Amino acid sequence: MKNVATLVAVFMMSALPAFAHHGWGGNEDKISEVTGTVTTGVSLAGPHATMKIKDAQGHTWDVTLAPPPRTQESGVTEKLIPVGSTVMVHGHRNKNQKTYEIKVTKLTYNGKLYDVYPGME
Amino acid sequence: MRDILVWIEQTGLGHWMRESGPWTYGIVNLIHILAVSTLFGSVLLLDLRLLGVWSRRVHIADLAAAVMPAAMTAFIVAVCTGAAMLATKATAYVDNPFLLIKFPAIAVGFINAAVLNTRPAWQELRLRALTARERRQLAVFGGISLTAWLTAVTCGRMIGYW
Repeated sequence: MKNVATLVAVFMMSALPAFAHHGWGGNEDKISEVTGTVTTGVSLAGPHATMKIKDAQGHTWDVTLAPPPRTQESGVTEKLIPVGSTVMVHGHRNKNQKTYEIKVTKLTYNGKLYDVYPGME
Repeated sequence: MRDILVWIEQTGLGHWMRESGPWTYGIVNLIHILAVSTLFGSVLLLDLRLLGVWSRRVHIADLAAAVMPAAMTAFIVAVCTGAAMLATKATAYVDNPFLLIKFPAIAVGFINAAVLNTRPAWQELRLRALTARERRQLAVFGGISLTAWLTAVTCGRMIGYW
């Protein structure tokens, strides 16, 4: 019994607290829309598709899309949007207002709406 | 640290991870998880045995013989897949504190195992019965190992939550 108690103590000491949840917990619940010029095109690599856009105020936004297969399924491919194009992204920005990061559910390019996370606001 | 990350991102491995289709990362991630779960499961059984709280009827040497090859193989697979995932967008992890805790934790796990290997209590497991003092010594190694690997796995999982 004493050994089990020791073991539990070891487990508790080494388990770090879980911080913001993967994905949406660190982002606002309300919707933000950002229009900007693409500075780094869509990348379908890694856990999530990403791109960078620069808004009218000169802030460069890290745009996180859905995981690569799902982003591609929505019609957004790496070749779709050339660098320098204007896009409008719709989603949830980082709670920290100094961090220009937005998790995007919808993206508008060239008059067409791409629903990256269908069914999600 | 930044230089290493920039370098690994530019390797052929990094290019391959980025350019070989949208499912690549997910599949590599899956293999990494399989390797890590095998590694941690193996280490957990042996560490609990060293701590004296698990399968005491099984001889430590027998358990180690069964578990160590699995742990070592899984570790190699985990290193390869982990390097591949890191190489995908290595520079995105420059300021990730979990990465900075994870690698030293793995080092502690390895150093602990290496030191354990040099102890007479470990080397003479099959030759004689251990003294109470030696059993306590092995339990300490088991406790350090479990803490180190648990920290490594926890930080590994938390990298994506930063």
